[in-house]
Amino acid sequence: MNISRYGEEGIRILFGEKIDLEIHEKVRRYYFFLKSLQLKEITDIIPSFRSCLIIFERKRTSYEALAASLRDKEFLIAHIDIPESKTHDVPVEYGGESGFDIDFVASHTGLSEDEIVEIHTSVTYKVFAVGFMPGFPYLGILDQRLHVPRLETPRLKVPEGSVGLAQLQTGIYPFESPAGWRIIGRTKKKLFDYNKEPYSIFQIGDKVRFIRA
Amino acid sequence: MIEIIHPGIMSIVVDGGRYGYREVGIPTSPALDLYALSSLNHLLGNEGNAPAIEAFGEKFSLRFVKDVCCAITGAKVRASLEGRPLQSWMSFTARAGEILTVDEVREGFRYYVGFSGSPVIEKIIGSYTTNLECRFGGYRGRALQKGDRIDLEDIRRVDVKRIAEDFIPRMTPPHTLRVVEGPENNYFTDESLAEFLGGRGRTAFTVSTKLNRTGIRLDGKPLAFRTDAEESIISEGLLPGSIQVPGDGLPIIQLHERTLGGYARPALIAKADHDLLAHLKPGDVVIFEMIGMEEAERLFDRKI
Repeated sequence: MNISRYGEEGIRILFGEKIDLEIHEKVRRYYFFLKSLQLKEITDIIPSFRSCLIIFERKRTSYEALAASLRDKEFLIAHIDIPESKTHDVPVEYGGESGFDIDFVASHTGLSEDEIVEIHTSVTYKVFAVGFMPGFPYLGILDQRLHVPRLETPRLKVPEGSVGLAQLQTGIYPFESPAGWRIIGRTKKKLFDYNKEPYSIFQIGDKVRFIRA
Repeated sequence: MIEIIHPGIMSIVVDGGRYGYREVGIPTSPALDLYALSSLNHLLGNEGNAPAIEAFGEKFSLRFVKDVCCAITGAKVRASLEGRPLQSWMSFTARAGEILTVDEVREGFRYYVGFSGSPVIEKIIGSYTTNLECRFGGYRGRALQKGDRIDLEDIRRVDVKRIAEDFIPRMTPPHTLRVVEGPENNYFTDESLAEFLGGRGRTAFTVSTKLNRTGIRLDGKPLAFRTDAEESIISEGLLPGSIQVPGDGLPIIQLHERTLGGYARPALIAKADHDLLAHLKPGDVVIFEMIGMEEAERLFDRKI
């Protein structure tokens, strides 16, 4: 574990250098450990693939004091209950107007549309991070055969529910938004609801299975 | 009650921000100039982060349906109430039926219009602020339009006050933005970093037209990546004010709408200068000046 400072109000904790399930599990444990401490001086925690970013209030503490206190409490990690991760089934309509980049993915990978769908639906994905926009799940690890580059120039708009691929990740856009990922399908599942908690159906560590609709 | 007659180029309802949910990607979306927002609320006798209208562009205009105290802070504007000239950074009393118009923005970019009462709008995820991209919060999740009406409750009479000149920040370009070291400053060549952070009179960037509440793209001499450095990082938590540099080498100042980022961050804007970011407009010259963390803390603590 490597603690460093990021700006006046950030503490960045790194657990490794790559996208890896074991490293990610450490991030997840640490995230739930931080939540369990319920420290008032921490306003936000952003867990992701290999790091936790802690955002604290300078009015209430200092970097040095908070970092020291976290080191002191670190032994507690082994003793906290980590919530069970949920598994979500996401029905997707692949190809056609919903998955307008599937032809690109086919020509880039040399796979047929059916093979792409078969591979994409055969993996149970892990939610590595939720963010960039509200409720967007970064899912991995994508089968190497579906590796495609991002768009060089992102599209200004893709529809809500679009399912995309980028490098070894797949994800779902909860809102109509700009997008640089290759879109292979669309889901009607509601991923984010600002009117009720939990606002995002996905949480870090959850599992996701795609099903052909 | 107030009624929007003209929204300027764009106006939205903002407050101090939406905190505690960045773990699921919900950004904070606060007023970009929080000092202007708290000064505004101070003038009006409201709690410091109470909601107000953030606007930019000229011709913003509204009609007062009830008697209320009002003020404008942020960018220095020339405004009028039924033809009577008004200054920003001072409160004034408006009578039912009167029309307020912002005639000219003289210095800065975004300005804040508030009232001595509470706008009746729905709180979403703990805040009144607008998330424009996802269309929630604020006034029906969108920018204000002609004819929109916002009811005000708990209207109080307050004495007319002004903020002393010494407490009104300077917003004229060139803007010197102080920065602290970012997590990926070693991704760039020493020469390039020295130029980027060269300070006064050396390397300057210009604010491009690609500017919104999510980020500010700058034009200028691209930063050079070291030959052994990747052009992107594994996406991770992003702090507002981070300077992100994509493959083309041109910096983007990230504001408050993104929680994760995947580009290298050579530096981030010191918190003490975040409010100034609200006033960068296309064509403005920007100069970066690196400071140490202790100085950044001192400057920020003096502000809060």
